[in-house]
Amino acid sequence: MNTAFILIILTLLLPVLSYLGYLSRVPRLDNALSLANVAIALFLYEFTPFSGTFYVDFTTWVFILMVTSVHLLSQVYSKSYFRKQEIWIGENLFNLLLALFTTSMIFSLEINNLGLMWVGIEATTISSALLLMTEKNETSAEATWRYIVIVSAGVTFAFISIILIYYSIGTLEISSILSMKVFPSLTLNVAVAIALVGFGTKVGVFPVHTWLPDAHSEAPSPISAMFSGVLLPTALYVLYRIYEIDPMRELFVWAAVISVIAASLFLGYQTRYKRMFAYSTMENMNLALIGLAVGGEYGLFGALLLLLSHSFGKAGAFYSSGGILRYTGAKKIEEIHGLWKSMPVTSSALLMSSFAVTGTPPFGTFFGEFLIFYSLFSIHYYVQLVLLLFFVMAAFISVNYNVTRMVFLGVAEKKGEEDSVMSGLALLSSAIPLLIGVIYVVVVTGAL
Amino acid sequence: MSAIGEVLLFPLSSLILITAFYMQGQEFIRPMIRGQLVQSILLAVISVIMGIITDDSDFIILAVLIVVLRGFLITFFLEKGIRKDQVHLHEKQVSVAYLFIISLVFVLTAVLIVYSVVFSSIKTESITGNQGILVFPLALFFQGLFLIASRRTTYAQIMGYIEEENAIVLFAVFLLPIPLLIEASVFLDVLALVVISSVVVVEKFTHERVEELRG
Repeated sequence: MNTAFILIILTLLLPVLSYLGYLSRVPRLDNALSLANVAIALFLYEFTPFSGTFYVDFTTWVFILMVTSVHLLSQVYSKSYFRKQEIWIGENLFNLLLALFTTSMIFSLEINNLGLMWVGIEATTISSALLLMTEKNETSAEATWRYIVIVSAGVTFAFISIILIYYSIGTLEISSILSMKVFPSLTLNVAVAIALVGFGTKVGVFPVHTWLPDAHSEAPSPISAMFSGVLLPTALYVLYRIYEIDPMRELFVWAAVISVIAASLFLGYQTRYKRMFAYSTMENMNLALIGLAVGGEYGLFGALLLLLSHSFGKAGAFYSSGGILRYTGAKKIEEIHGLWKSMPVTSSALLMSSFAVTGTPPFGTFFGEFLIFYSLFSIHYYVQLVLLLFFVMAAFISVNYNVTRMVFLGVAEKKGEEDSVMSGLALLSSAIPLLIGVIYVVVVTGAL
Repeated sequence: MSAIGEVLLFPLSSLILITAFYMQGQEFIRPMIRGQLVQSILLAVISVIMGIITDDSDFIILAVLIVVLRGFLITFFLEKGIRKDQVHLHEKQVSVAYLFIISLVFVLTAVLIVYSVVFSSIKTESITGNQGILVFPLALFFQGLFLIASRRTTYAQIMGYIEEENAIVLFAVFLLPIPLLIEASVFLDVLALVVISSVVVVEKFTHERVEELRG
């Protein structure tokens, strides 16, 4: 067994070991093990590309890093988040499902087989469904059910594409498919188009995105962060691997552009802040889909930069939202005023994360979006580019207008101190996209 | 033997579609669950026949998996959720005539898709490459989706999802069975999802519009 294989197995086992660490009641052992998983994920870079039972290249590595990092953050955050609230499914089951959810995402990313990737994606639905219902009420039960039924129906549809790929190529092994010369055929075209609709359900492609705002808004904040930051990108990764077999660029780019337009329009009339961030996720995922579909140096790197920065930025947005919800009890934007006085740290995190997820310079998301736009320009997709520029700008205004209203408008009654762990983690997560942006400028472009 | 088997494939597939119609028009939950059981067993029988035709033992193992995991375990978990005093549990206002008309439209759509250019290059393993048999899994898939969309109870929607999964298995059986390891994992996934769904059933029997989830 070589080192890379052992490291990959460790990335799969550590979330479960972390759960066992939680059961042992040794203080913070679970967090230490999750931190170790981030370190292993970072170290795995040295061994990319790796091919065998698992397939890990640079693209996969970026996704693994995202999943392990956001898992660590959400695990730490959830302890404070649930301190004053009983978890309906029980703390033990919550932690077990969180571990299985993370493992199933990492499995989907690492396994070198499209069929088993599908199994992994379905497993993410199974493990995360009850996490959504931890705050047991009528609305969250309905959101959970919509999530289960819409995503499962969509992902089942995607299985047709797996069958058709196997029928056309005779293997489902990703490394073999990528290394062989696959000639596009009508059957493969149908397979890739079906994958767009099927896996697109989980990615948030319009019009099969409808579960997304419900699940994100009703899930507890640490879970919303994982949904938005890493679950959707994991599904996007699987879709990308299928896209690589027979790149139907025109179809994918147009589907993503229409989805960005739809997300931007939905953002215009949102009254609840968590729903607003959910639609912002839809916008970002589809921008990344454009980058992946266009490919090349700019498109692919832009998409990875966007996804990496967005995962932390959106985690920060949902952690801030969780803090605000706990502090004010309000879900609507109009019910929240003057946060900068009552919750100075959380409001700073909210503002920063809002800038991060809308692609404000110099956050990493800005450079990611810029590279994606440039990649579109380089292949002469001018109509798509103009539409995107307009609607991304509209989304930017919608999100930042609402957030600045919540932070600066009106006067809030001070109800006590904000939770230091929750606000600190929100601030840390929001600052990482800024750090990514600075690193990109300094290291990659050598501009400074 | 294999010639008889090939002859049986069309009528058995038709029976599967009839079970889908039965479930679509059924307002009582328990008979609907039993309809799913019959549908899964018919699917297993088709898999056995395909095993005989192609002389591939994987089909036989697949049939056993279908009977055990999909037929019996899923039926068990779903029926377990219905209390003894709820034997007449049903969904109100099921408009059978309207549902059947839409269902027939879906069958016609499946025929159109299979005989259109989309599937023209696809040859099936059975019945000397007669692609017409693919109408059945496609029609069943649409039936599953329609069952999810047309009904309001959690049970009926779970049935729709299982029907969709059955359609995928039937599609793979007729076209080219995927490796057994993957097929088995898919079955276990579906079983786990049904178990999770049965938890939601307890919390929410029917689904109506929720104000907070609009927009």
